Amino acid sequence: MEGDRYTAIDAILKEKEGVQKDVIPILQAIQNQYHYLPEDILKRVCNQTQITPAMLMGVSSFYSQFRLKPTGEHIIKVCTGTACHVKRAELVYDTFGRALHLEPNQDTDPKGNYTLEKVNCLGCCTLAPVVQIDEITYGHVEVESVKRVLTSFENLNGQPKTKENANNINGNKNDGEIRIGLGSCCIASGSEEVKNSVELAVKENALDVQMKRVGCVGMCHQVPLLEIIPKGKEPTLYSKVQPGDVNKIINQHFKPQGIWHRLKSSIFNMVEDIQTDRNWEGIEQFELNYREKQVSSFLGTQVPIATEHRGAIDPLDIDEYKQGFGFFALKKCLNELSPDQVIDKIEESGLRGRGGAGFPTGAKWQTFKIQQSEIKYIICNGDEGDPGAFMDRMLLESYPYRIIEGMIIAAHATGASKGYFYIRAEYPLAVKRISEALKICKEHGYLGKNILDSGLAFDIEIFQGAGAFICGEETALIASIEGNRGFPKLRPPYPVQQGLWECPTLVNNTETFATIPFILRNDVANYTKYGTENSKGTKVFALAGKINRGGLIEVPMGITIREIIEDIGGGVAEGRKFKAVQIGGPSGGCIPESLINTPIDFNSLKEVGAMMGSGGLVVLDDTDCMVDIARYFLSFTQSESCGKCTFCRVGTMRMLDILNNITAGKGTSKDLDELEKLAKWTKKGSLCGLGQTAPNPVLSTLTYFRHEYEAHINGTCPTGKCQNLIKYSIDDTCIGCTKCAQNCPVDAIAFTPYEIHVIDQDKCIKCDGCRQVCPEDSVHVR
Amino acid sequence: MIKLKVNGKEIEADNGLTVLETLKKEGINVPTMCFLDNEEHFPTCMICIVKDQKTGRLIPSCSTHISTGMDIISNDEEIIEARKTALELLLSDHIGECDAPCQTNCPAFMDIPLMNRLLANGQFDEALRVVKKDIALPAVLGRICPAPCERACRRRNIDEPVSICTLKRYAADHDLEHASSFIPDIARLNGKKIGIIGSGPAGLSAAYFLLQKGYQCTLHDKNPLPGGALRYAIPDDRLPKEVLDQEIDIIKQMGAKFLMNFELPVDGLENLRKEYDGVIVATGEENADFDELVKKNKSFVTEKNTYQTNVDGVFAIGSAIKPGRVAIRAVAHGKEAAFAMDQFLNGNPVTGEAQLFNSRIGRMLEEEYDDFMLEADPGPRIETTEFEGFTMEQVQKEAARCMHCDCRKKFDCKLRDYSGEYDASQKRFFPRERPPIRKIFKHEPLVYEPEKCIKCSICVRITARHKEELGLTYIGKGFDVEISAPFNDYQKNALENTAILCAEKCPTSALAIKKHDEV
Repeated sequence: MEGDRYTAIDAILKEKEGVQKDVIPILQAIQNQYHYLPEDILKRVCNQTQITPAMLMGVSSFYSQFRLKPTGEHIIKVCTGTACHVKRAELVYDTFGRALHLEPNQDTDPKGNYTLEKVNCLGCCTLAPVVQIDEITYGHVEVESVKRVLTSFENLNGQPKTKENANNINGNKNDGEIRIGLGSCCIASGSEEVKNSVELAVKENALDVQMKRVGCVGMCHQVPLLEIIPKGKEPTLYSKVQPGDVNKIINQHFKPQGIWHRLKSSIFNMVEDIQTDRNWEGIEQFELNYREKQVSSFLGTQVPIATEHRGAIDPLDIDEYKQGFGFFALKKCLNELSPDQVIDKIEESGLRGRGGAGFPTGAKWQTFKIQQSEIKYIICNGDEGDPGAFMDRMLLESYPYRIIEGMIIAAHATGASKGYFYIRAEYPLAVKRISEALKICKEHGYLGKNILDSGLAFDIEIFQGAGAFICGEETALIASIEGNRGFPKLRPPYPVQQGLWECPTLVNNTETFATIPFILRNDVANYTKYGTENSKGTKVFALAGKINRGGLIEVPMGITIREIIEDIGGGVAEGRKFKAVQIGGPSGGCIPESLINTPIDFNSLKEVGAMMGSGGLVVLDDTDCMVDIARYFLSFTQSESCGKCTFCRVGTMRMLDILNNITAGKGTSKDLDELEKLAKWTKKGSLCGLGQTAPNPVLSTLTYFRHEYEAHINGTCPTGKCQNLIKYSIDDTCIGCTKCAQNCPVDAIAFTPYEIHVIDQDKCIKCDGCRQVCPEDSVHVR
Repeated sequence: MIKLKVNGKEIEADNGLTVLETLKKEGINVPTMCFLDNEEHFPTCMICIVKDQKTGRLIPSCSTHISTGMDIISNDEEIIEARKTALELLLSDHIGECDAPCQTNCPAFMDIPLMNRLLANGQFDEALRVVKKDIALPAVLGRICPAPCERACRRRNIDEPVSICTLKRYAADHDLEHASSFIPDIARLNGKKIGIIGSGPAGLSAAYFLLQKGYQCTLHDKNPLPGGALRYAIPDDRLPKEVLDQEIDIIKQMGAKFLMNFELPVDGLENLRKEYDGVIVATGEENADFDELVKKNKSFVTEKNTYQTNVDGVFAIGSAIKPGRVAIRAVAHGKEAAFAMDQFLNGNPVTGEAQLFNSRIGRMLEEEYDDFMLEADPGPRIETTEFEGFTMEQVQKEAARCMHCDCRKKFDCKLRDYSGEYDASQKRFFPRERPPIRKIFKHEPLVYEPEKCIKCSICVRITARHKEELGLTYIGKGFDVEISAPFNDYQKNALENTAILCAEKCPTSALAIKKHDEV
């Protein structure tokens, strides 16, 4: 029996050395195998390896990926990233809890079917609120749609999974090309099903087209996207495509092969028309076109550098990458430029690290280059932990070769021999794409002992981050690769001097590496023509929140907030009034409407109390409560603090205490002074960037929205978001349709058909369900 | 060698030194809590913060290495405020009490929990010494004290308070039964004379403490016998005269002189003041003398903590200044005034005895009753008659009901010392709802109280360096991070070789030796 119990773990251990650096990979493998970390298995690890119980428990309890308790059969993850938060994801979470009959402090239903949890950010911000059940992602989940989501999951779950279509589409392109977006957002919105439908349709119609998966187009608000490029004709882009639409779209552009197919196709479609009761006009509303004004403004003012060839290339097709000048810069560096010349050009480009702090990349490379050491490491930081940011994910998923090229160039310039991709385990698609891309690069001689016969030896492996926001900080990231808790270290020494396993280590952000090939491939002036005096080039942002067109955007530095929101984003969603934009996530701040003309660069953002951060832009409208936003970020940083230094560990908690009091209507004006003082000390006294920037969301909202804090202290939440300060009521426009009463999860509304309904305030849990279902807008919050 | 500035002075120091080490070499002390010599530097507490003037940044001196051109300021207003704020943040997450509530509620601030532990252990003489450190007349008070300590006793929440007063009486009576009773150490006569007006509990207590410091004390009283209200206002069945006489006799043995049938001179204090180096007015409540004195010395004002009056060298205590006739309060005044008088006569600033910082927890929570009871005898309060007192068995059983609310390291706690030094306020950030206290007794011979832990990680580093098989580790992250042994069932052998070392190095009493006062 014992032998059986340990077969799997012993097999896992066999592949590892069993030393400290294996701790996280071993724990990940155990969790994959057992779905949690059983104690006896962990003890087995300690018995069989040099790993100590203290190491194992210290690490497994630090990272959010690991579970020490068994879970239900399925895991429901409710995203509480910023974009989801402002779209009331907490209410969705509560509703799931009620739907599953969970007691407080319980996360798994009694039958053991589901485990419910909050997750920091799934990186699908444009589909907020987002819920993931096992591998299936649901976008735009509202309180009132929770039950439908569960039912839909259960129906789906009963059925066998769709098999990969064996008869995949060949690549002759005789008739043209069909491109389908397969970024995470697209997949989350159902593009996998659309892909299956396309494959089926193409097979049914025996078309000779090439179907191609492409990376993120950036138009995440329109997903799933399907682009049809008939040979020699204008391409047409369809957005928000449903599987049922596919046949018609394809029939519109391609003629089936042969009479039998054509006949079958028309009959089939006729039948389908009857079945789905949809006519052709029904689909047109989904049609988009590059020349159409809205879209051209979304894409038009953007400058794709890190995201070059967006939506046009298959992420993993190395030939396509090469056709678009891929590896051109690398060859140029290896053949024509000395390491010093490469660094000179990077310095000349003025490139600053895209991870947030904006340290000049060239200077960092230079310091790293001069370090004398047998082993030097390069790490691509893809540990995108900001709630509300998904740039790294998109870049890794869509442009793996570009990032790899940037890393190889860095290796050439600085004499490093070994590289790591540090990617969050929450980004499985990114991990998959990068690992395939690395394999292909090795096969093509771009990685290995003698890259392109230049004598350069460089190899890259992937390290999967196990979920800790602090690991975006480079010293914490290094600690985590070493197999430790992600405790940051005091700098100096900087990692470029003494980093991974005490060796010099260059850590650059994903976007930084993705920008390198463009700078070196062209004249540097091609890059420096974009941007401002102190911040050159472009910046990739994740635009989300209350915006009409959210998505991944790449814009020249110096663009104003107004241009981003109005031109690219198409203005605030639902015609509401713009209130602020949150930039830089938990380290950043809220920029109010009065500063909407601020040009965005590293310095200007600091001046207005925000920060570039990694580039999350969450738009807030007049229904968003700024005190709640500050409280939201503080609760995030508090729980993500590594717990090492006093000012961060306790300081953020005490700030959160004060904010909780204020949003509960128990604040005093003295609290505001104390909050400001404590914010100042937390900034000053914390050891690393997390604590030093954690107070920014509080300080910036205190600066620009102090009146909202004061309103809470006087007992009102002006936007009706803070549950303790609001009441729901129904006015006399109620038509007595009973929808609210039927939808109320706690029977706070009596079922009184054709009469004005009344909410029992003692029972009401303020879930917002009644307001959402009311067809007459008769439910009010005040 | 590295050239840098320390507090404006140019110095040279060896490469590789930390700022803390450099400052130490310059004779500058910096407070530290998470720092431990010979262990890996792992800055957590931030109390050792200093400033690099060059960058304006605050840096943890224990782990920052010196570099050329640094301009270190080791102490200025900003640094003091930073340290104070760090302490206040730590105190908001340090749930525990330094002194037990019974002791803080005792006007004489007697170390009641320690007395209880000694009595429970049958160490009656040692218990008496603890009592007599603060209380001059324990046998008397053991009979008549209203026992404010028992009102504060946390055992009250569970059943009934510990019979502190009667326990103290046992210790005192037991001592008086000896052929020669306990007499505290007396310093060599310092040649200074104190006149005490009134020989009630306040005057006797003042004499008791001043005598120990080497002063010659003379008590003046209008009555024929000493004792004041103790003798003349309390009936014999409550306080037998022989008990009072026995305890006064000890004070006599210590060298006190008594001038009985003494009439207050017409000139008030003037002549007395000339005769003595210091005068203590302890005339009691229903005594016209004090009113007279006040009349004769217009605007006679007493300082709150020192009992010093506006007449030079004259201190006033007891019911004379605060009516109410609470003997324990009078005794406490006597003790405190003796301290202040000593400061006065030594030419020091008269401040009274400094109160140590005291961490408080507020009300006890129901969730923590069980853990508090882990060390206490679960039996009911033992009642006795006023005449009898306890038997020896009863004493030991009753004293064992004490729950050990006081801190095991109350005299050896860095957090307490620095909080006092920096005048830190625990209330500033203390949460409205505090977590319940846990007392974990799995690590023989230790007690672990996680809610007192300030996460300095010294024990984690010690156990790792000494290669404990299990050791201790951080569990979790964020504010909720905790130090614990991995896998709960293993806790008892987490500290095979390093238990005592960890307890000794713990800067608070999160990890402490269970039998800390070796009873």
